[in-house]
Amino acid sequence: MRVPALRVLFLRALIWPMASIMLHASVAAAAPDLAITIHEVAPGVFVHLGRQLALDAPGHDDIANIGFILGQRCVAVIDTGGSMRIGRALHAAIRRRTGLPICYVINTHVHVDHVLGNAAFRQERPKFVGHSGLDAAMARSREFFLQHYAGDLDQPPSATQIIAPDTPVEQTLELDLGGRHLQLRAWPLAHTDCDLTVFDDASRTLWTGDLLFRDRLPAVDGSASGWLTVIDQLARLQVVRAVPGHGPLSTDLPSALDPERRYLRALIDGVRDELAQGSSMQHAIAHVATAEMPNWLLWDSTHARNVARVYEQMEWQ
Amino acid sequence: MHAPTTARHSPRWRAAALSLLAVGFCGSSFAVSDGQTPSSGAWEYLQKQFYPDRSIGVLDDSYMSLTAPANTPDPAATPLTLHFGDAAVGHIKQIRVIIDNNPSPLAATFDVAGGARVAEIGMRVRIDRFTSVRAIAETSDGKFEMRSAWVNASGGCSAPPGPMSAGSLGDIRFRPSPDSRSMLISIRHPNNSGFQIDPRSGEPIPSHYVSHIRFSADGRTLLEADTGISLSENPTLRIASDQPLPAPIVVDIVDSKDAHFNASWRGALAESAASSTGSGAGGSR
Repeated sequence: MRVPALRVLFLRALIWPMASIMLHASVAAAAPDLAITIHEVAPGVFVHLGRQLALDAPGHDDIANIGFILGQRCVAVIDTGGSMRIGRALHAAIRRRTGLPICYVINTHVHVDHVLGNAAFRQERPKFVGHSGLDAAMARSREFFLQHYAGDLDQPPSATQIIAPDTPVEQTLELDLGGRHLQLRAWPLAHTDCDLTVFDDASRTLWTGDLLFRDRLPAVDGSASGWLTVIDQLARLQVVRAVPGHGPLSTDLPSALDPERRYLRALIDGVRDELAQGSSMQHAIAHVATAEMPNWLLWDSTHARNVARVYEQMEWQ
Repeated sequence: MHAPTTARHSPRWRAAALSLLAVGFCGSSFAVSDGQTPSSGAWEYLQKQFYPDRSIGVLDDSYMSLTAPANTPDPAATPLTLHFGDAAVGHIKQIRVIIDNNPSPLAATFDVAGGARVAEIGMRVRIDRFTSVRAIAETSDGKFEMRSAWVNASGGCSAPPGPMSAGSLGDIRFRPSPDSRSMLISIRHPNNSGFQIDPRSGEPIPSHYVSHIRFSADGRTLLEADTGISLSENPTLRIASDQPLPAPIVVDIVDSKDAHFNASWRGALAESAASSTGSGAGGSR
């Protein structure tokens, strides 16, 4: 089931939740438990668009954009979804298209919606690839995942299902899939402390991970100011299309980064003003960047946390 | 729904149901206490210990209020604000802040100097799991008032230290409001709860926390606080009055290893003169 790129372009123009419903209405019924919709957005570049749901909503395991890139020699998976269920569905989607080995499973960062499907690929014996900070970030998160996302693992849930990278990326790494190369780049503290982007040279497609949120409110788990620096660097890259961590694809990366840049700037400026006035965190949460609210989905579940985090960090700047 | 002074929290049953899902990626609505959050074994025990045979008033928000987020933005640093109305300012003797379901429920005891015009006390606390948070004030004429709020959270006491936990132990920052009626104090201290695990080594991190804070203005002690492991990493204290706080403001801190830190703020004109000193005991500095 290949969807022409033109149709993706069309879908992108729709309000996202509506598009999400439409996509999921067209889910194929081939796999035994779950089939996910995959778009071939460029030759050999396959994306499943996650749904814009809260992290505690039913369906929360399917909120991240995940996918794979097909070379002549082997396949690279980029993020595996928020459950074994989604990981297996992605695996099944790959196997419907190719029998080539899966040589790499790349995680763009530590968040649960991007990594919890890793174990669904273990039997393929891939290299698990991530930012050099991902291993430590996984170690910090493992207990949290087990406590709060146990239902998204195979039963009984166990720490061994949460797979950390065996191939760390310090700065850059090139992966050869046969006939195409992926350029991996590790970034300094931004969305998280382990953000990694993947650039496919054949299609000039950049997978941003959660360094780019579209429509869904960005979550600051690293540093808002660090993230702004990275955004400026991303905006200068020459790419044909970007696959964000959440939200629709873009063929204009600099413009796609603008809303996120504006929100993060409002967060930082607002918190700085609050601190200069000696205001409490509660006051900051109630007043900082609230004009941004109409521009984003899932505001209530994330904005207060962003303000709190930026406030705690800027207290010591 | 973001206004702390107007929002009311949802019915208890709904709060309890949501709390099963709330893990820190939560909403931002704030609740003002209504004196009706659930009681608990911890509170019943502490009530017998601290307030035997006392009648505790719970109704009048204009006298005193406790504001806490219904869903905390950060279980390890949940902001709480105690506000005292006109009738209460200058007549509060002591306030205890109790977090029922925390491993160490008594978060802080504030002793207010006689007649000190404290109108607001703000702090950040760890919330280990969904809980009633309560503030009990003793007035100078021997009455007791309690306000409580329900907070959804989990894991605040065991959350690993933040990446910002490095830095200079005992650093203190002052942030006055433009009208000088409030002062936000930020204290650089890990405030390790004893329930945290070092994610690298897997070993428990021993407790190490700010145990006492004295806040003085112009040579007069306004309040002293006995604090514990429920205060967040890098504790903050925000004191507001109904009149300008006279400089110099001096903060004296003692921690659980008996290290002493102090800092002073000498007023807006002499802001650059703010100084901070520390004297470590037990090699804690």
